[in-house]
Amino acid sequence: MDAAGIYVHVPFCLTRCGYCDFNAYAGLDHLASRYVAALLREAELAAPSWEDEEVVSVFLGGGTPTTLEVADLKALLARVRSVFAVTPDAEATIEANPDTVDEQKLAGLLEAGYGRLSMGAQSFDRTVLAALERVHRPESVVAAFRAARAAGYDNVNLDLIYGAAGESVESWERTLEEAIALSPEHVSAYALTIEPATPLGRQVSRGDTPAPDPDLQAEMFETACGLLGDAGYGHYEISNWAKPGYECRHNLGYWERRPYVGLGAGAHGYRDGRRWWNVRPPEEYLSTVERGELPVGGSEELEPADAYLEEVFLRLRILQGIPASWVEDGRAEPYLRNGLLLDDDGNLIPTERGMLLLNELVLGLTG
Amino acid sequence: MDVAHIRNFCIVAHIDHGKSTLADRLLELTHAVADRDMRAQYLDRMDLERERGITIKAQAVRLTHDGYELNLIDTPGHVDFTYEVSRSLEACEGAILLVDAAQGLEAQTLANFHLARDAGLTIVPALNKIDLPAAEPDQRAKELADLLDRDPDDILRISAKTGEGVEELLKAVIEQVPPPAGDPTASLRALVFDSMFDAYRGVITYVRVKDGELPSRARIRLMATGAESEAEEAGVMAPEPLPVDVLGPGEVGYLVTGLKDVHLAKVGDTITMAGKHAAEEALPGYREPKPMVWSGLFPNEGGDYSELREALDRLKLSDSALSFEPEVSQALGFGFRAGFLGLLHMDIVKERLEREFDLELIATQPNVEFHVIEGDETIVVHNPAEMPLPGTYDRVEEPIVFATVITPKEYLGAVLDLCQSRRGELVDTTFLTPERAEVHYMLPLAEIVFDFFDQLKSSTRGYASLDYEPWGYQESDVVRVDVLLHGEPVDAFSTIVHRSKAYAYGKKMTERLRELIPRQMFDVAIQAAIGSKIIARETVKAKRKDVLAKCYGGDITRKRKLLEEQKKGKARLRKVGRVDVPQEAFIAALRADQGAKKK
Repeated sequence: MDAAGIYVHVPFCLTRCGYCDFNAYAGLDHLASRYVAALLREAELAAPSWEDEEVVSVFLGGGTPTTLEVADLKALLARVRSVFAVTPDAEATIEANPDTVDEQKLAGLLEAGYGRLSMGAQSFDRTVLAALERVHRPESVVAAFRAARAAGYDNVNLDLIYGAAGESVESWERTLEEAIALSPEHVSAYALTIEPATPLGRQVSRGDTPAPDPDLQAEMFETACGLLGDAGYGHYEISNWAKPGYECRHNLGYWERRPYVGLGAGAHGYRDGRRWWNVRPPEEYLSTVERGELPVGGSEELEPADAYLEEVFLRLRILQGIPASWVEDGRAEPYLRNGLLLDDDGNLIPTERGMLLLNELVLGLTG
Repeated sequence: MDVAHIRNFCIVAHIDHGKSTLADRLLELTHAVADRDMRAQYLDRMDLERERGITIKAQAVRLTHDGYELNLIDTPGHVDFTYEVSRSLEACEGAILLVDAAQGLEAQTLANFHLARDAGLTIVPALNKIDLPAAEPDQRAKELADLLDRDPDDILRISAKTGEGVEELLKAVIEQVPPPAGDPTASLRALVFDSMFDAYRGVITYVRVKDGELPSRARIRLMATGAESEAEEAGVMAPEPLPVDVLGPGEVGYLVTGLKDVHLAKVGDTITMAGKHAAEEALPGYREPKPMVWSGLFPNEGGDYSELREALDRLKLSDSALSFEPEVSQALGFGFRAGFLGLLHMDIVKERLEREFDLELIATQPNVEFHVIEGDETIVVHNPAEMPLPGTYDRVEEPIVFATVITPKEYLGAVLDLCQSRRGELVDTTFLTPERAEVHYMLPLAEIVFDFFDQLKSSTRGYASLDYEPWGYQESDVVRVDVLLHGEPVDAFSTIVHRSKAYAYGKKMTERLRELIPRQMFDVAIQAAIGSKIIARETVKAKRKDVLAKCYGGDITRKRKLLEEQKKGKARLRKVGRVDVPQEAFIAALRADQGAKKK
């Protein structure tokens, strides 16, 4: 019995950000109470086939889960706990936008059982926030973070994005320094990725906005490794750092290929080599669940080759490495020689350079 | 037919000056083709010819008019086929010199006129397209009269399009062109002035009987190749094939030879009877077709080498000037090094391979044949890879051509500049008329095979025309330039150039490849070198970032698929030493020059 996770997707946002390609919508708030009811129902529908799984993490993501009322969020976690075998010490994370929380709401969330807060700070540079079309200001991040501490949160993550148009290495350094100054338990730092089907993607393809410079992003990655490492954060996944003991248990579940169930529009689930996903449009999700059916929109069975490829690239992402015996003779040598891999007693682990060239590494090692 | 009533003639004209249209009018005038069967450019059979507006295969058509047998012999119209032109001219006693009344004389027409005159042909000059508003018949007549040393009033004025003056022209041919001579009792000697391969009937030659008689069925012998066979059918094109019992002296027709390989019956060879009636001496002037330009031909990515081989084998059956040998390139895989008479011949072969055999091809930069001399030994090099290292030979000789350019005088400066920049040596400049100059240059052939014609056209707004003939070999300071990726030479980019052009080539190729070679895990040096001396260098900086930033529950399938896509791309890469290069990069680098050549 693997330690399983539960992901709950909330597809509502106050506004859509230009870079975001998640299943999220602005202006659908009127569906919120129906949506919460549907999530409660889906949990009941899904739970029976998971009664043998011990659930060690719950993650409310989006979208912006904190657009929902605290009472709804509390009912949701309570329902999940009542129908699934959630361990008492399970990690329960909720994502929050700085502008959607205050001390009172945060205290309510903590009281509701969400012991871990993940805050979408993105940047402390006003121009970067503007380039990302984030509506909050740097000061709101600081205020929201302080409110979280005041409300009693002792496990907070800050999400950061680097490499937007106009951002310099110096500006990124300042963002990192400000984040470190707040001393969160966890930091996620993502290189901005341009997704074609987003407003930003269209701007880039039209040539209105420059595409991120991969060399500059590489330098920013190295800056993050340096500053966060010096500040005592452990680098445990390509884009994630944590103080010892504060690694995100839920996300580790994805990377260690443990089972998870996804609730909500477009949410994915995985177990025993099978992956499936719910229908994406909220309306379709609602009507399906309201008919009492599981809203599964599609699934795939992983072939052994798929599973092997996933295992390799996920293990390399979390720096757990892969046994050298998994790799055909001679494939690892160029990477070891070029400083992309380390051989740690028969275990191949990517170096910082190797992490930046992880695709290359995965393809080279798996052939 | 009484020899006195035979006229053998050809039309010497520049592309687009109306040769095919005139041939159409002659067919109509002599009722050779029923009205309902008539179509434009009747004689240009092959699609390829029709589209390019040129004729690559000579044909002979028998017309009858006023009791005369008129054999119209079609001549190839391009500089690559000078030798074939000369053989066609050998089959004639006269030539219509047809000149566009708007455009005036062009270099190739002039060159072919010289060939015709040197062959002793009677020239019947005519200005065509006098119906065009832009026609300047008086001026052009004067130009032609000067050239021919005749009275401008002798120059006929016609419109092949409307038919005006065509009958008079035909009369002039009958009156002015002498009948053929020939000894009917001598042993058979028939000149092969063209040959082709027919899938059903094998090798068909076009012949001019010089002496003796060629019966329809006979055991024949090709005197140059020594091939013998049972000929199956003699005939004339009227213009459709019409078998005859015998082709007599002075007559022109075709012969189905019974041979299966066109290389056994080449242009310029002499047909005689096998056995004791064989002629003792062949007709003079036979020459082996000699490739002047060489290029590597490779199947495009994923293309099939064996299909290319088969296509070349089949093409060779009908193209005795084409030669090829297998070549292996680490960049482009298995292919062939092929020899061509010239650039046009190369284009025609490539196009036929692509069109008739549905192949996609990559051609390496064309090069000429160099002679590398060391002591008493001469090494013939037609592939840069065969070029010995500097310091291991005494000298290199390269082919030189005698080039004629005709240009309006306002572009004379541009023409001289161009020829000068191509290492040309001016021979002389004369004026055909006060407005048009004829320039002669000695030029290295290597300079012409590389975009010279396009440069000439673009620097003269298309008004200048070019012709050239081989002149011989001359010592030259040429060197082999290699392009190296991370220290490994890329064979497809090796070239032999004059030392003065080596740097420019090296710089161009290294810069181009820098844009095309994907970044690797390490810095990749792209170098151009003469021997061990580096003359240009660029660097493709090491790739620093190739990773997906986020990978959570919903992303994993998508990210795996992205990786699989990337993996497929990687499988198509070719290795040069430690560097992975997509074949597209090589192709793009090679095509960058060829793209400019297409009009």
